[in-house]
Amino acid sequence: MIEAVQVALAVAVLAPIVSVGWVGLQTMLADRHPSESQTVRIVGTGLVASVLAGLVVLAAMLGAAGPPVVGDIEFGDWLRIGDFLIAGVLRVDGISVTISLFSSILTALVARFSRTYLHREPGFVRFYVLLGLFATGTQLVALAGALELFFAGWELIGIASAFFIGYFHDRAEPVRSSLRAFATYRFSDAGLLIATVTTFEFLGSARFSAFEGAASLPSGEATLLALLFLLSAMGKSAQLPFSGWLPRAMEGPTPSSALFYGAVSIHAGLFLLLRVWPVMEASIPARTVGVAVGLATALYASAVVRVHPDAKGALAHATLTQVGLILAEICVGWTQLALVHLVCHAFLRLGQYLKAPNMIHDTHRIGHEPHRPSLLVRLWPGMEAPLYAAALHRLRLDERIDVAFSPVLAAARTLDRVDRWLRRAPRPRDTSE
Amino acid sequence: MSHGDETVHSSDPVLRALDRARGVLPDQGPIGVFIHHNTLHAYQHLSFHDGVQAGARALGARPYLSLDEFRAAWRRGRIADDDVRHEVSAFLSSRRDDVVVPGLSRGTLWHAMMVTPMDTADAAGLEFDIREGVAPQREDQPLWAACLARVATAPRRTTALAGPSPRRHRDVLVVLGGDDPDMVVHPELIRLGAGYLDMGQARAELPERQRGFLMSVCALYDRGGRAPRLCRGVGDDMRDVLGAQRSARDVIAHCVEALGVDAATLDDFLFDTALALPGWTGMFARLERHPEDHPHGPPVSLADFVAVRLLLERRAVEHVASHLGAPSAWTALRTSMPTPQSRPAILDAALLWGAARAAELAPSTVRALSDAAVQSLWQACDECTDIARRQIFVEAYERSYRASILDALAARRKLSSDYGDDRPVAQFIFCIDEREESIRRALEEQHPRFMTYGAAGFFGVAIDYQGLYDLEPAAHCPVVVTPSHEVHEQPLFTDLGWHAMRLRLRDRWHSLERRSAAASRTLGGGAGLSFLLGPVSAARTLVHVLAPRELHLLGTRIRARLAPRPTTRLSTIRPEAQPTQGGRKPVGFSLEESVDRIVATLTNIGLTRNLAPAIVVLGHGSTSVNNPHESAHDCGACGGRRGGANARLFADMANRPDVREAVRRRGIDIPADTWFVGALHDTASDEVRYYDLEALPPSQTAAFEVAFAALETARRDSALERCRRFDHAPLTLTPEQALQHVEVRSASLAQPRPEYGHCTNAICIVGRRELTRGLHLDRRAFLVSYDPTTDRDDKILERILAAVGPVGAGISLEYYFSSVDNEVFGCGTKLPHNVTGLIGVMNGHQSDLRTGLPLQMVEIHEPMRLLIVVDASPEALLTVASRQAEVAELVGNAWVQLVSVHPVTGDTALFERGAFVPYEPRPTLLPVVERSAEWHLRTRDHVPPALVRAALPITTVGPGHYTGHLTTSRMLA
Repeated sequence: MIEAVQVALAVAVLAPIVSVGWVGLQTMLADRHPSESQTVRIVGTGLVASVLAGLVVLAAMLGAAGPPVVGDIEFGDWLRIGDFLIAGVLRVDGISVTISLFSSILTALVARFSRTYLHREPGFVRFYVLLGLFATGTQLVALAGALELFFAGWELIGIASAFFIGYFHDRAEPVRSSLRAFATYRFSDAGLLIATVTTFEFLGSARFSAFEGAASLPSGEATLLALLFLLSAMGKSAQLPFSGWLPRAMEGPTPSSALFYGAVSIHAGLFLLLRVWPVMEASIPARTVGVAVGLATALYASAVVRVHPDAKGALAHATLTQVGLILAEICVGWTQLALVHLVCHAFLRLGQYLKAPNMIHDTHRIGHEPHRPSLLVRLWPGMEAPLYAAALHRLRLDERIDVAFSPVLAAARTLDRVDRWLRRAPRPRDTSE
Repeated sequence: MSHGDETVHSSDPVLRALDRARGVLPDQGPIGVFIHHNTLHAYQHLSFHDGVQAGARALGARPYLSLDEFRAAWRRGRIADDDVRHEVSAFLSSRRDDVVVPGLSRGTLWHAMMVTPMDTADAAGLEFDIREGVAPQREDQPLWAACLARVATAPRRTTALAGPSPRRHRDVLVVLGGDDPDMVVHPELIRLGAGYLDMGQARAELPERQRGFLMSVCALYDRGGRAPRLCRGVGDDMRDVLGAQRSARDVIAHCVEALGVDAATLDDFLFDTALALPGWTGMFARLERHPEDHPHGPPVSLADFVAVRLLLERRAVEHVASHLGAPSAWTALRTSMPTPQSRPAILDAALLWGAARAAELAPSTVRALSDAAVQSLWQACDECTDIARRQIFVEAYERSYRASILDALAARRKLSSDYGDDRPVAQFIFCIDEREESIRRALEEQHPRFMTYGAAGFFGVAIDYQGLYDLEPAAHCPVVVTPSHEVHEQPLFTDLGWHAMRLRLRDRWHSLERRSAAASRTLGGGAGLSFLLGPVSAARTLVHVLAPRELHLLGTRIRARLAPRPTTRLSTIRPEAQPTQGGRKPVGFSLEESVDRIVATLTNIGLTRNLAPAIVVLGHGSTSVNNPHESAHDCGACGGRRGGANARLFADMANRPDVREAVRRRGIDIPADTWFVGALHDTASDEVRYYDLEALPPSQTAAFEVAFAALETARRDSALERCRRFDHAPLTLTPEQALQHVEVRSASLAQPRPEYGHCTNAICIVGRRELTRGLHLDRRAFLVSYDPTTDRDDKILERILAAVGPVGAGISLEYYFSSVDNEVFGCGTKLPHNVTGLIGVMNGHQSDLRTGLPLQMVEIHEPMRLLIVVDASPEALLTVASRQAEVAELVGNAWVQLVSVHPVTGDTALFERGAFVPYEPRPTLLPVVERSAEWHLRTRDHVPPALVRAALPITTVGPGHYTGHLTTSRMLA
């Protein structure tokens, strides 16, 4: 039974990336892109295999054949340096299997949608390649049994996400937005990386099963760990003050916006917190910060969504209200509620994103709700203009971040100048070569 | 039309510049009603080439396809080489034989420069190609060496590789390495402008927006708006404007002064500033002129928008300039543009090489060329500009196609057009739309006594129509006409109770949908609805993506079962006695008015005798989902709406005994056993919906059933013909599968191409259908029925051309521009489109408002001017043009190509440079196929004209072609 589950898990994780490799191989051998239908067939097979394997794992977990399979499934060592060991371990439990199936089904659905939607688009093959990478990334994140594998998946999601935002790279704006999202991810991912190493130091292992030991950590150490996890979750899930990249992420084609920022990717940060919940649980200060950030983000986003006249930007912020709320729920300790909320919310948004271009059609059919001042404005009319302005400018978050990072950029520019100057200096050895 | 005349009334330089900009800015209204128009309508008073070149210059767009695209068309034979040579000669006229260098005439040089990339500006690419041995220069190494050697000592070609000259501060600042002020100003303007114009998408509206854009923005900044960092200081400027209540004009003048723009450059500077964000600026200009386009919106003014823009821009420019240490005054800044690089010698050598090849010069001759000869070559090359060559190419491109069509028409004309004089079995009146050509051909192939006609899709009944569930009436007629009647759809008396109940339920349901859509974006509502609707919504999305057609059919079936639409009638006839209520338009037509319209339309299309027992009148519309441009597929002759109501109304009028009686007195005998049926043809799903079949007299059922069965077959054939253009539909589909395929397209969320719309339109044929019937025109021809034999004083021709000319030209030119430059004139690919404020689409999260047609609608289009072929003598056409100014402008300035085919002699003449020039068709043997599917299912590409035997008269092809498709099938509900 365990062997079957092992195979199923391996297929769930690897099938999409293997299909991507296959597309790459075809491209290299034929010296041109495979046709659209070939690409869809190959990557589609990988994604469907991943869904089916996920169903097998689900069946095994529920005990459909023999005793229920739950817990760590070992795949040997990934890396061993002295006594430092990175284990290849996946984990089967309620949360992991739910998220795995949920994301693989939605990814397959978006792949089906995009077959016609992206037809004749120059980046068609690229889109499917990224979709495959993303699928493997989400499966790793969902099923990883330890932080190292989780981090690998996390990075795959981040890379795919940045490339999807910059999908239309012949225009400047998508590329700029993509770079901003990527930079935000890099910054907050540093939190996860440091947390992984620190976990290893504090707990002796980065396995999620070892996290039970977090309860006995000194509160300072627990809080440090929890804050690091919280930081990476905030970046990935666009919580304040990192919310600026989310509306910019709407530069990609509609199906990728739906999958990433409506459904799967935006919720990844929350999923991380659910996974490392024992650490979070141990630190009241970190949880307080989390609740504050989540609620602030939710309020911020619901103010912004009121002023947004564009379909995708409004949806992005509508999504953010719930993501903030779920973050608060997790940090309060209502993890079961948060998991259900997360999945239901992703379901709701996916459809809304995919139907975003239908806005005009819908308005013709059912009309629209009239402009209506919010409760706050009705109680305190003087707040209308400041609130509107703040929401319209989105608190100028991006600009503030740019200011905060301007010393880093200035230092980089100085280094660049020094470098150029050094290169320009005559180097006799170069001329003699 | 309200814009276009460039006569400027203002003496104020600021207002004058804005007026000038107003003429050029995109004139597209809110996207909910999409009306095709000439994108460069403002330049229509110039000749086509002058107009497109001037317009493209102003907007920074491409006026024609690129040379590379034309060359590709030349290589694959789409443009005949003879045509290129002919057009070069025509362009150069007597100068074509000038000797440029010994052995090389100007005409030969131009031809070479057109078809080969000898004057490339890409030095690095050329060097690479030569190094890799793939450049054409490898074919003649000695010659290439000679060219390099000669160029090394020759006078150099002086044309520098200069970019366009700077128009605004940012052009210089960016080149100098500063931040781009537009990157700060545009996002700010887009958010403010979108919030201001929003027609109901956002929940909160811009505070105090009734005060106008300038004042409300200033007030917003005054009460808590925080300026972007690069625009520091703009808050104070705005407070100042607010305090002094300055007018937009004064603000503009003040900012322009602060930006150091002197009086000499003011006009151009403001013009270019207004055109820097053309979509949004254009929407402000459009709504200022047409407030009726957004009935409940705030006051809109172009000057306000430009004023806000300049307030922001001024500060941004100042900050960037001072950061760079550059002057911020335009007079000083524009001269600090760095000088462009000089031209690498290899480019000159390539040019010389191309000329030497064209003249077949030996390497020794090249080496021996005098400096004067080289100079003269450079000069000749400079004259052969990129634009001039593309202008010649487009003429050749059109010439090649025109010849194939005119020759085919002449060949068809030689065959019989005698379809006998028996009473037709059924007649079908369609819109002139070129998308209906295939279904008309499919009908005609079925029976020689099936007749089809083409009339502008509002069928002569211009109405403000209010459907059963419409909130207010909307005009169903060409945009140039203002209806003087309203027509309402009303439930039958027996259905009144059910109607009231259904209306209540419907309102409640919609209000629920609306409120849940709004609530799902709020904090609490979003949470509640996630739990409540999340899983349901996911299941629905899953089914919608996997089985769109089935879901659509299921929904339709459930609605028809549980809440069927009440039976309705139109308020066609207004009792004479009924007075119209103060100021409102009369509801319904009087008897006299109805008779006028029936007589006019039947006369226009030449259907004045021999009426069939069943006559189906088909309006058209298009159904698609997830498509902000849905309205662009609807009927242009109905003002971007669906023509079903007009068809229904026309049929209803024509069926009334009192109307028929009066029509008979005017000379058109509608037999007692003739019945008109109105219908709507959906050009996306190829569905045909019939109206008022309950009123069909039992004696007419058999006749109608024949027509119905014919349409059932024809819409499948037509779907199949459309499917050949869609890569996802195999060419081997059966007609039934093809119909299902297009139904899926129409219902699918994931389909950016529900149909190709007017894509590939190229021809407009005005004349008797008998003369073109049996000719496969590949869905590229508007077909307008007109019978010159009954038109004694050219009045009918005038009526037709006055309506069809501008509508056809508008569609053709919109497609022309959107395909030659899809990024500037069109709106680019649909995939990142983001519906904004219910008025248009942006790319991604914030961009300029995108106007024009998306890439997915024009990708297989061949950009050409519409070829209008009229079954009338040149004299008749000149008479009409003398009476119709707009037609005269379009034809005289060559925005369309006009061809006269003489009704009696068949002589063909093309209108060129102010006069009709005879055209002698080349004798052509057209391919003959039995059915059109045999012809067009061979390829997905455009197909040239062919003869379809099944649609030709029996006398032409002998008996035995009758295909016997007339099995009656079960009626659809």
